[in-house]
Amino acid sequence: MVSITNAHNDLIHDAVLDYYGKRLATCSSDKTIKIFEVEGENHKLIDTLVGHEGPVWRVDWAHPKFGTILASCSYDGKVIIWKEENGKWSQIATHAVHSASVNSVQWAPHEYGVMLLAASSDGKVSIIEFKETGTSTPIVIDAHAIGVNSACWAPVSYQDVESDSNKPTKELRRFVTGGADNLVKIWKYDNDTQLYVLEETLNGHSDWVRDVAWSPSVLLRSYIASVSQDRTCVIWSQENNKGPWKKTEVKQDKFPDVLWRASWSLSGNILALSGGDNKVTLWKENLTGNWEPAGEVQQ
Amino acid sequence: MSIHQKDDPYKSSTFGKSLSLKVDGGFNAISINPSARDVVLASRQGLYIIDLDDPFSPPRWLHHETPWQVADVQWSPHPAKPYWIVSTSNQKAIIWNLTRSSSNAIEYALHGHTRAITDINFNPQQPDILATCSVDTYVHAWDLRSPKRPFYSTSPWRSSASQVKWNFRDSNILASSHDNDVFIWDLRNGSTPLSKLEGHQSSVNSIDFNRTGGSEIMSSSNDGTVKFWNYQSGGSTESTRTVRTEFPIWRGRYLPFGNGYCVMPMVGGENSVYMMSLDQSEDDLSETKTDKNAINSTKLQPIYTFKGHSDRVIDFLWRSRHTYDTMIDDREFELVTWSKDCSLRLWPIADILYNKVNFERNKRLKEKLPNYEYITYNREVHDTMNFNDNEYKRIKETFVTTSGLTNMNNVDHLNWLSGVRMNDQNTPDDLFEQPKLHNLGEEVSAIGQKFPKVVFEKISVSTGEILLTMNGPWSDSNPDEYIFLRIEINVPSYYPHRGNAPVFKIEENGNLTDVKKQEILAKLNEIGKVYTDSDLYCLEQCLHYLLGEKVSMDLDDNIDEPLFYLDVANSVNFDEFSTMSESIESVKSTESSSDSGNNIFTNPFDQNPETRNTFGRNLAFDTTPVPNECGAIWTPTGKLLCFFSTESKPERKQRNVLKLTRDNLMIKDESKPITKSLYDDNNISEKGIANSRPKRYVDTFSANDAKSRATDVTSDGESTSDDSFGSFVDDWNDIVGNDIVVRTRIPTLLGNFAKSFGSVHSESLKTGDSSRTTKNIIITKDFYSLFQEDIRLALKYEIMNEHPDEMARHNALIAERYGYEEISHCWQILSDLLLAEREQSFTSFTWNNNPLGIKWFIKEAIKYFEKESNIQMLAMLCCVAANLFISKTNSADIYNVQESYESMVTYDLDGEHDIWPNEVHSQFSAGNTIQSQNDSFARSKLLYSYDNYSVQSEEMAGNVYQTTVGRTMNSRHVLPPKRNSNIGLQTPTSHRAKVAHVSVELIEDVVLKSFKNPVGNILDSSDIKKCQLYIYQYAKLLFRWGLPYKRVELLKISIQAIAEHLHENSFDLEDLNRVNNNTIEINWVSTYADDKAVSNCNYCNLKIKGSMYVCGGCQHVLHADCAKEWWAIGNECPSGCGCHCPDRYNLCS
Repeated sequence: MVSITNAHNDLIHDAVLDYYGKRLATCSSDKTIKIFEVEGENHKLIDTLVGHEGPVWRVDWAHPKFGTILASCSYDGKVIIWKEENGKWSQIATHAVHSASVNSVQWAPHEYGVMLLAASSDGKVSIIEFKETGTSTPIVIDAHAIGVNSACWAPVSYQDVESDSNKPTKELRRFVTGGADNLVKIWKYDNDTQLYVLEETLNGHSDWVRDVAWSPSVLLRSYIASVSQDRTCVIWSQENNKGPWKKTEVKQDKFPDVLWRASWSLSGNILALSGGDNKVTLWKENLTGNWEPAGEVQQ
Repeated sequence: MSIHQKDDPYKSSTFGKSLSLKVDGGFNAISINPSARDVVLASRQGLYIIDLDDPFSPPRWLHHETPWQVADVQWSPHPAKPYWIVSTSNQKAIIWNLTRSSSNAIEYALHGHTRAITDINFNPQQPDILATCSVDTYVHAWDLRSPKRPFYSTSPWRSSASQVKWNFRDSNILASSHDNDVFIWDLRNGSTPLSKLEGHQSSVNSIDFNRTGGSEIMSSSNDGTVKFWNYQSGGSTESTRTVRTEFPIWRGRYLPFGNGYCVMPMVGGENSVYMMSLDQSEDDLSETKTDKNAINSTKLQPIYTFKGHSDRVIDFLWRSRHTYDTMIDDREFELVTWSKDCSLRLWPIADILYNKVNFERNKRLKEKLPNYEYITYNREVHDTMNFNDNEYKRIKETFVTTSGLTNMNNVDHLNWLSGVRMNDQNTPDDLFEQPKLHNLGEEVSAIGQKFPKVVFEKISVSTGEILLTMNGPWSDSNPDEYIFLRIEINVPSYYPHRGNAPVFKIEENGNLTDVKKQEILAKLNEIGKVYTDSDLYCLEQCLHYLLGEKVSMDLDDNIDEPLFYLDVANSVNFDEFSTMSESIESVKSTESSSDSGNNIFTNPFDQNPETRNTFGRNLAFDTTPVPNECGAIWTPTGKLLCFFSTESKPERKQRNVLKLTRDNLMIKDESKPITKSLYDDNNISEKGIANSRPKRYVDTFSANDAKSRATDVTSDGESTSDDSFGSFVDDWNDIVGNDIVVRTRIPTLLGNFAKSFGSVHSESLKTGDSSRTTKNIIITKDFYSLFQEDIRLALKYEIMNEHPDEMARHNALIAERYGYEEISHCWQILSDLLLAEREQSFTSFTWNNNPLGIKWFIKEAIKYFEKESNIQMLAMLCCVAANLFISKTNSADIYNVQESYESMVTYDLDGEHDIWPNEVHSQFSAGNTIQSQNDSFARSKLLYSYDNYSVQSEEMAGNVYQTTVGRTMNSRHVLPPKRNSNIGLQTPTSHRAKVAHVSVELIEDVVLKSFKNPVGNILDSSDIKKCQLYIYQYAKLLFRWGLPYKRVELLKISIQAIAEHLHENSFDLEDLNRVNNNTIEINWVSTYADDKAVSNCNYCNLKIKGSMYVCGGCQHVLHADCAKEWWAIGNECPSGCGCHCPDRYNLCS
């Protein structure tokens, strides 16, 4: 059980463990990222990454097969890619296509290669693919006019899972965005045109969508959780990767305060929500398809 | 030179009240003006002159940078020279003249010592005489009329001097302390001490003559004792009395009134100042007089303890006042303490204390008390003096003052204000514990931090004048456009009491229409009236309104509060307000702080661009949401990683209470039901926090700024106060290295002070971001119980077994051991079914689709666990299916050489019911071989031997199996049957093959028809892909759990089984192709985009789509057309691998 107090001089906005659960990256309003080595109950500060000029909102570890690589996004509008080599951290790339705060950053499933998804308050999301040749080609999409607050990849899945076995199975590459226009949008990669196209617009919130999270599970159903400033959390589910998205509210009445963050457990069963009341609540779907509380964490 | 109007000490707004001033900057010495109006604080950056009567005005700052800590500062006690201050600067003493401008205030510099001066003392009778003592052991007496050299010097030679004091009665006598001893000197006696007082066990830190006693002197020492002496009593060097304490004493002095003394510890002693009576201990003394040993020794018996500083007290002094020209002793006193915690405090003295030290007030005096001009030197003086006339100009040059003339007083007024706390109550004890709004100064300071974008051009707390500028959404045409406003606020002196609403004036402005202006004014006045009617502070609400936010005029949530307030109001000392108003008037006519104010206040964004980098964006359009303060993220290992900003429970509680105090209520009893009912959590949430909570990050800048400022300053405060006592060398480096001036001159804003102000904010509790501390915590939590998947199960589960039923039984036991009853049952049933299936394999097949059949069960179980979203179980079920499949294959290949009948059945049949042929299938064969080598050549030869023929469609895709699975599983002995495409005919190849063993069996039609669902295919084809995904997902999970071996096992199973399943699907197409291409014997498979075996054609190098040929020997692929073309030319593999592909099939084109 790790417990780290006062890791930063200011608010912490994100804390992510790497693939093996050995390293912890935290980021804060103090403009720094800190890397901790976590071993059982012990933790050790390894490095403090300085480079952002504004508060750092999110960090994400790349799949270890690409090396020890971390992506961070900040209020300064930049995404910085950090890499550790021989115990030294350095910036290996800066991605600055956005003209406003970058609010979320996430690596694509490793099957797609080294690919990054960033969402910004300038209303755009960008997908950057880092090729082996060292080049990167950002694709920028206008996603939500007022600002994109969060973006999340779908797990690797395939379309047309059943039947029609003659046709080659198509890889279904999708991601979801949530924005300040209160909408949740689902985007799909079109293999033919090599572009991302809007697949679905989900309207279910009455205020800014703060975070969207696509369940990493590859069960029959796809789940997306979206949390909002309107103090609600909506679960969107789709059967077999096709058909309409069904809306389920996690809780009938509103949460006590605005919600900030949603996170699915690795197997996709448990949803952790955190919000303005400085509390974390856990939710689980029961057999009837309703969501029931499964736990609570308070500082 | 004074341009100040004379005030009356009895009009002081602070005398007799508790007061706390936060002054950051490592000040080490303090002294007070004899009129008791101003205090001076000295540090290495110079002097601060603080007007105690108007603590809200920023201090006057006399710059004097020295690398050495100021050991002592003394204000001249003489009415003749009330403007003189002497301070030490290492080996020099500097005389400041406060009537001069701050940049030119040094009048003399006394240079006689060779090492650092430790103490200075003005002669109590002669204004021009003072004494200094130094580490160089000398004691010098100076006459400021001839300041070039001391007129008297003496030294005991051996040890450095720590203190020097003049006798109050005899101006020729002075005392100095050197190490453990105290020496009494007479100026007329030269360097021979009049007396030497020995007795302390450790060095003496402080000496003090008795004001009335003539030859009585007290000394305080590191040995923890205070000794009282009377040096004239027969030349005795014995102390008359010793008082023991628990701590080393830093300062011990007689009281200026009555008969008592005060001591102050150097360390420990709870950072307090102790007050003792001498008379009382006299009684004790007389009682114990008989006991010789006890005669000189009593314990410290304080009659009062001034306790409250959080760090050690650096010095204390007395502030006093009396009426002018009085012959009656009506003096009043107040203790002033300066502590290392960077706060200056005033402690009122209760009457009872006067009595305790036998201070007879209103006693007739023999002589008049000296009268002091009650003026402040806090205001900057503009020098008219001709510099050239200054004969000490030369000396001045050696003391570089860094100040500029223009912005001399660049102490941030808002910061200064925030350090000032005043309390109405006369109880010195609980004053500083409960931060509330007590006056306009505190309110302005609070709102100044909350609204950093509001620029205060002028703040004059004493006169109630505030001038501020800001941008508000008051444009007529465009509601989003912000226009500039300059607003003057006049706050009545009785504010915020009923009927004393502030008066607002908005400056004419081209962008602001008259209508709007009137509208704003009307609303402001309404807010002011509503709030002051309830005796509430309203400026914050007004600013909220001016910034375009909604302001609640509904004070009804606090129905009971006015009642409460009445109670409180009765207890409020209204005298304060009267004195206040008078002093306001008096200050009005003087030069107010507003002049310099214009220089002080600038836009916070301009002032410190580095604190809030906006990256050149228009903040009005910045839609960055407010940052999250806490969050929870699942870790790959299944723990929940949470981070929070921490706020301890007491703080939370206090915040609840402070919600009340926004109304300036002084309800201290939290347990009162009213508190609870009004402010429980539900209530708050229902009032729509979400609406008032800012969404945008920029909206929180104000609060964040305040917060960051608060933290910056507090942290700096710590560092500087530490610096102050650090070594001089370090400090010097520090000064050279850093811009220490900027860093240290900011008055400290106490962390929790700012916090409480932040939470006073009524409308949006959470917006007061300043209420947050920067403290945060990251924790991980285990939620194993919530997960369907269990690492312990994963560790123990069997994934691969020749006998699936045994595996199922094993797993059932495992699940049971860890208490998974449901899963255990599932395994149990599975085990039973599998066992039954194994034992009577043949007859049970027909039951697969029945509710008792294994296929049905697995299907149902998968459905169930899908609902449960138990990946582990799903993957395991898929494993069972795969195992079943493979075990059949294995048994067919390896074990059942002689039982070809069974092996054929279990292996070769396909489940595609719809394409089940109607014609008679005359022959089945199972190609079984026992092969012990992996030699591919041998194997490839053997391939020819398995010629099975028979049915058109229902065979396994032996060929594909071979190419795909056979490759991945090179070590396996499994070699599936090879099918010949000649339907219904035995090809010659079968006869040519070197077959280890081939058995051919004929099966009757009737039996065949009952095998609608061969057991090898217990999963529907539609489920296979899904099954693969489950296994894949579970494999990922296993890897994250650190079980790579289990993962490999799992993947092995799945690849074997699934590859077979996958290629089953290609049969119909294959058959079709085969029929079409009768001439060439090649094997057609439809392609899969994700099939690893498929790459580019080795002939044309294009991606393969559609029909292709896969060589069984070298695994190279060709387009069907390319193959035809190539093999028309030669018979080697186009890849150049040397394989003679067509030969292997004995083909010719």
